[in-house]
Amino acid sequence: MEQSFDLPDSTDWLDTPLSLLAPLESSLRCQVCKDFFDNPVITSCSHTFCSLCIRRCLSTEGKCPTCRSGDQELKLRRNWLVQEILEAFKNARDSTLTLAKREAARIAAGDKGIRDPAPKKRKVGHVEQEEEVEVAHRSSQRVRTRSQQVNVNVQEPEAEMPEVIEDSQDEEYVPDDGLVACPICDRRMKIEAVNAHLDRCTKDASPAPAPPKQSAFRSLQPQSRRPPISPAKTPDRLPSMNYSLFKEGQLRKKLRDLGIPDWGPRQLLQRRHTEWMNLWNANCDSTTPKGKKELLRELDVWERAQGGHASTSSPFVAHSTVMAKDFDAAQWSANHETDFKRLIANARKKSEAQVRSTIPGASEGSGSSARVDKPAPPASGLDNGAPIEINSRPACSK
Amino acid sequence: MASSVAQKRLFHEYKNLSTNPPEGITAGPVSEDDMFYWEALIEGPGDTPFEGGVFAAELKFPKDYPLSPPTMKFVGGGVWHPNVYPNGTVCISILHPPGDDPNHYEHASERWSPIQSVEKILISVMSMLAEPNDESPANVEAAKMWRERRSEYEQKVRDEVRKGLGL
Repeated sequence: MEQSFDLPDSTDWLDTPLSLLAPLESSLRCQVCKDFFDNPVITSCSHTFCSLCIRRCLSTEGKCPTCRSGDQELKLRRNWLVQEILEAFKNARDSTLTLAKREAARIAAGDKGIRDPAPKKRKVGHVEQEEEVEVAHRSSQRVRTRSQQVNVNVQEPEAEMPEVIEDSQDEEYVPDDGLVACPICDRRMKIEAVNAHLDRCTKDASPAPAPPKQSAFRSLQPQSRRPPISPAKTPDRLPSMNYSLFKEGQLRKKLRDLGIPDWGPRQLLQRRHTEWMNLWNANCDSTTPKGKKELLRELDVWERAQGGHASTSSPFVAHSTVMAKDFDAAQWSANHETDFKRLIANARKKSEAQVRSTIPGASEGSGSSARVDKPAPPASGLDNGAPIEINSRPACSK
Repeated sequence: MASSVAQKRLFHEYKNLSTNPPEGITAGPVSEDDMFYWEALIEGPGDTPFEGGVFAAELKFPKDYPLSPPTMKFVGGGVWHPNVYPNGTVCISILHPPGDDPNHYEHASERWSPIQSVEKILISVMSMLAEPNDESPANVEAAKMWRERRSEYEQKVRDEVRKGLGL
């Protein structure tokens, strides 16, 4: 977050000879999150947003943010062309921008003698590189853990998938990845590979196909392997719920069944379910869907971003009151967190001091047994007014 | 940890405002540690009694921004205006969520939507300074004065502006 002032933005083009690319980039960005479209979808009023952004808007308000005509998330359709254009633009962006900046620098140098903005340029490139490295690192990590998992639990392939949930009714689903399934072990592979595989598969005749082969195959074809591993296998969208029809207990059970946290007041349950539904359904729009674990992590991020576990910033509450100021409660508790911590620390210190002073008081008290007798049960000193007075004195004098 | 949608979007807006600021407007977070608390400076629009003044305001963003709008409050006082509460809070339709209409006069199309932005809010506030809306005044006294004794209103605004500049 701290370095994100280097966040790529359409304004990056403004000081270059390619400033006309700024409006192009700006139109490839979602108006809600200002980021590049992530799984662009089009509304029935023909406005395009990230799948998740528009779902969140619609579940709050039921209206298109741009033209305010009513819409339903069921009517959202994927916008493949925008996605393609965007991918192409993103691929070309870095090199084009570097060129443009170099050109801008050349022009500036020509104008004002030697004023070399190269360090800045390099810095930007460096950051981007770092990001790339990080991403690569992360994905390689994921691959590694996955292959480790494969090696560890040599069971049927399904067992390694942490994402498998309630997929019993989805057995028939065939991912559209251009691959075919082995009739014996159900692994998906290129059609040319089936015969060779069949030989091995029938020889093993066990639900566990040779794991090393497996991982080698995987690392060769990470892209085509992905769909079967991910919950693309369960592309069933979650239906929206009419919360008023559910009792709190039923709602809680519903959340539990979905595998998401089920604690908190009713309002929070509803909002959590809505967010989960949005995350889940937006993920269904993705060409490379994430696993359920990742979605759960995002849900957790959302939960924390809403101001801890406060349920006060609810859009429903916001609408029923005069102005959307209710977030103050959550913010207030966030703002004053240090104060609370300080108070708690003080209270702890005090009670510790009391305990400390009562214990030595008890041990040293042999000299003046009369005084020890008075706060006779030292442990109960906390809930007894008078002993505190006496016991806290030595602590104060310290 | 991944930053929230709100933080990222606010960073985008901040960057946009600082690289390509609209005339007469400066805005940004007070500290980059807290993207949800901004300060803005608005120049008084020309050909109005506010001309020459510079008005500081604080913007507070909810955690679910941009689904919900921020609140805006002029700090340091001195904004005598029908649509600004005596405590400085700005009452303008773009800052109201479309779900409700507390004042029963605003069109949904004027109100907050996630595609609005800090820039648009500040531009709206600038034009609000120039053209008060006295249909649902936040500051009744100022609205009355604006409606009935315009010259007195303008004089008072000018005085406040001057006071604000320390003259």
